[in-house]
Amino acid sequence: MTRSVAICLHNEASELAKVRDALDCLGREFHLPSPELIELQIALDEIVSNVIKYSWSDGVDHEFIVRITVRTDDVVLEIIDDGAPFDPRRAPEPPRRRPAARVSHPGGLGIHLIRKLVDGFAYSRIGGRNHTTLTKKFVQAQSGRGELNRE
Amino acid sequence: MNSNSALSIEEIREGGVCVVALAGRIDSTNANEVMTRLTGLISAGEKSIVVDLGTVLYLTSAAFRALLVATDRADRSAAKLALCSLAGHVRDLFEMGGMLELFTIHASRQDAIAAHS
Repeated sequence: MTRSVAICLHNEASELAKVRDALDCLGREFHLPSPELIELQIALDEIVSNVIKYSWSDGVDHEFIVRITVRTDDVVLEIIDDGAPFDPRRAPEPPRRRPAARVSHPGGLGIHLIRKLVDGFAYSRIGGRNHTTLTKKFVQAQSGRGELNRE
Repeated sequence: MNSNSALSIEEIREGGVCVVALAGRIDSTNANEVMTRLTGLISAGEKSIVVDLGTVLYLTSAAFRALLVATDRADRSAAKLALCSLAGHVRDLFEMGGMLELFTIHASRQDAIAAHS
């Protein structure tokens, strides 16, 4: 009843296209509704770019894992990295009504959008790795449910 | 989503206004292209820019940052930069991010051009 895809990424911004394309493929395969798929793509971009920018500060190449799991009525995004411990849920809210501050310190906006766009946002540190999990519920289209049931 | 959701950037001259029509999705992989194009126009002396978001599929915080940086650059260069045609998901995202009050926003391209003329 589920389909899971794991993608190994390097900590470079260009790598984001890999997970974006993988989620697009799963969206087509399972006929995920467009609004939810768009919201998932935004949340995925925000959380993965956050890991790429902030998990390591040594300037060295690192690898991390993104696992996308499509279940009967939700999609789960798991990001597992061995960077510095960081719970993204504790990121401060972006400053309001201060445009100049937003230009120079926009970091909190991405996390703020994730909070608004997904149904579940979990974090744990396990065995020296950050495990961040985003969950998005959706109402499966009839044809898509048929495909899931054939799994 | 398919290849039609790739970012495209088109410049159209409407009298004294430079309209930059964006289409597709703007995310961490391509937001810098938007910022580079807009700041390049400002550096080249463009004084009146309208960014049309009418056919943008979605945008992320990287895109908001690109638009904020370009707006800030325009302010410091005595240029005007406005947005227009926010609809659907794009408008929802501006609202969600508390971004509506940070930009000059017009309902349509025609309104924006009229305001800049």
